[in-house]
Amino acid sequence: MAILEEPIKGIKEVKNYINGEWVDSKGQIVDVVNPATGKVIGKVPISTREEIDAAVAAAKAAYPEWRRTTPLARSRYLFRLKELLEENFEEVSRIQTMEHGKCIDESRGETRRGIENVEVGCGIPTLMQGYYSEDIATGIDEYVVPTPLGVFGIIGPFNFPFMIPLWSAPYALATGNTIVIKPSSEVPLSQTRLAELAEEAGFPPGVYNVVNGGRTVVNGMLEHKDIVGITFVGSTPTGRDVIYKKCGETGKRVIAQCGAKNFIVIMPDCNVPATIAALMTSFFGNAGQRCLSGANLLIVGDDDKFYRNFLDQVVDMTSRIKVGYGLDEAIQMGPVRDKDKKANIIRYIESGIKDGAKLILDGRKPKIVGDYPETCFLNPTIFENVSPKSKIGSEEIFGPVMSVMRAKNLDQAVEICNANPFGNGDAIFTQSGRDARYFLYNVESGNVGINIGIVAPMAFFPFSGMKDSFYGVLHTQGKEAVRFFTESKVVIQRWF
Amino acid sequence: MEISTCSGAISLAKQLENDSAKVYQELAQKLEKEKDLFLGFAKDNGKYYTQIERAYYGVITDAIEGCFAFNLNPDHYQFKKTLPENIGPKEAIAEALKMEESMLEFCQTAAEQSKHLMADVPRAFSLVAKKRSERISKLKELLEKTK
Repeated sequence: MAILEEPIKGIKEVKNYINGEWVDSKGQIVDVVNPATGKVIGKVPISTREEIDAAVAAAKAAYPEWRRTTPLARSRYLFRLKELLEENFEEVSRIQTMEHGKCIDESRGETRRGIENVEVGCGIPTLMQGYYSEDIATGIDEYVVPTPLGVFGIIGPFNFPFMIPLWSAPYALATGNTIVIKPSSEVPLSQTRLAELAEEAGFPPGVYNVVNGGRTVVNGMLEHKDIVGITFVGSTPTGRDVIYKKCGETGKRVIAQCGAKNFIVIMPDCNVPATIAALMTSFFGNAGQRCLSGANLLIVGDDDKFYRNFLDQVVDMTSRIKVGYGLDEAIQMGPVRDKDKKANIIRYIESGIKDGAKLILDGRKPKIVGDYPETCFLNPTIFENVSPKSKIGSEEIFGPVMSVMRAKNLDQAVEICNANPFGNGDAIFTQSGRDARYFLYNVESGNVGINIGIVAPMAFFPFSGMKDSFYGVLHTQGKEAVRFFTESKVVIQRWF
Repeated sequence: MEISTCSGAISLAKQLENDSAKVYQELAQKLEKEKDLFLGFAKDNGKYYTQIERAYYGVITDAIEGCFAFNLNPDHYQFKKTLPENIGPKEAIAEALKMEESMLEFCQTAAEQSKHLMADVPRAFSLVAKKRSERISKLKELLEKTK
């Protein structure tokens, strides 16, 4: 199988994109490392407070004119961006693999979902329409006009470097707001490429800004009086205790999509081969680094024979997963993002052993296809007899670790799911409509899968979440994003 | 190494279509009388690949089992990439027929294995498989009437 050509040659110097200009930062410069090869592929600035202030000032200055630009005209900028993304689809995808480590199929999937959000944003002339009631009283009419709000901050995570900012950006822009994006400093390269394409699409200066960095930039956004709202995707402690809290204090709108511990419930009547294939993507896709990854495999029923047979097949298929550099087309799982994340995952594995779970597949000593440093690689790990209350059974590991547990019946399975503080993406595999309905009705999860291992909502549906997985009211993507980025101006009119 | 990923399967489709197109270009030179037919086949190979590639790029999302969709042995579908210098017309057509049968099997297997993906990918493989079946019939006819 071919190893695809790397689109980044040498080291890419990342700059900030402020007011339509690519500007150097005065902040510290840090390396962007390809986790598979260990090579430095970029240098990214940790920007200063002054730099985020400058970006917000540019976005604020650009807002009035952008708001006056008609929705139809704004949508045409997005159409141009969509065309450019299609033209550069492969390059953008390979950059993601280089900066993040994910396999090329996963990167292309990420690119496609990002583009789909741009496509939905292109429909803004319809999506942004208000509504009207004639004669709410005799001779008096009432209507709603969705209006933009100003400058929004978009804070991206490391696990989907290209796509996640696009859960927000197209909607914010299409509705007439201006934006400042802060990509994860670990993976800033695909966002840089996206900004280059946005520039080529012709967005007016100041409408679309990117400031790279870390906490200083985030705090600068949170504390800035001219930022009216923030969208954030990342960990629960940061989302809940920093982003949501601070936005509450400063009166900003907020979408904080946070961590997860997803349960995949297996009923004895499931279609076993199809279910096992779906589990591989669910648990080990993106090396388990996604908020919709399966984490706990909950097998229902007291049929020991079914349990053993099912689990043996899961272990067999998992042990054959090919791990290596994601630009190698044969590879099914790439490395985790960096060595600290790997060390954290290993600590979880050790805690599982300490807590008495049975380690039936140990991924700590990776077998890698190709000659790459082990630094960020793990193979998949599977634990059996995991208590849902244990550390590995209850906390988000964010790595390729499956914790297997059992429930006597579906009632107990739902109880176990709901006892976990997270509520992001639980799923059931069954052929019974009754059981599926019971599950979706009772499970406290924002995204629910029925015979679907990764419950990733399409761009025209909200990316939901409940409990510790989500803080806010409206969600990113689709109509909810349009509502989030607009205020409903209600007009009541009477003519004498 | 077996191919499990969508990306690998699409690349294999491309390689097979390209190799097959080259064989048809050679055939067109060897069998002047059927030149248009074989050059047409070669040209269509490019269209078939485009059809499959377009379906893949249109539907690939991280929510489908893209890295676990296939179980293909690429060696099983390989064929002779060039025709022997002194091969006769009948033998040359027989080689083309063997090649098409191998590619038909590839398309059918790929369609079957990708059934659980979004419909466009298996549909594209199935459509190409149908075209291949038609081609096989034509090649068989040609083989019969060739001395």
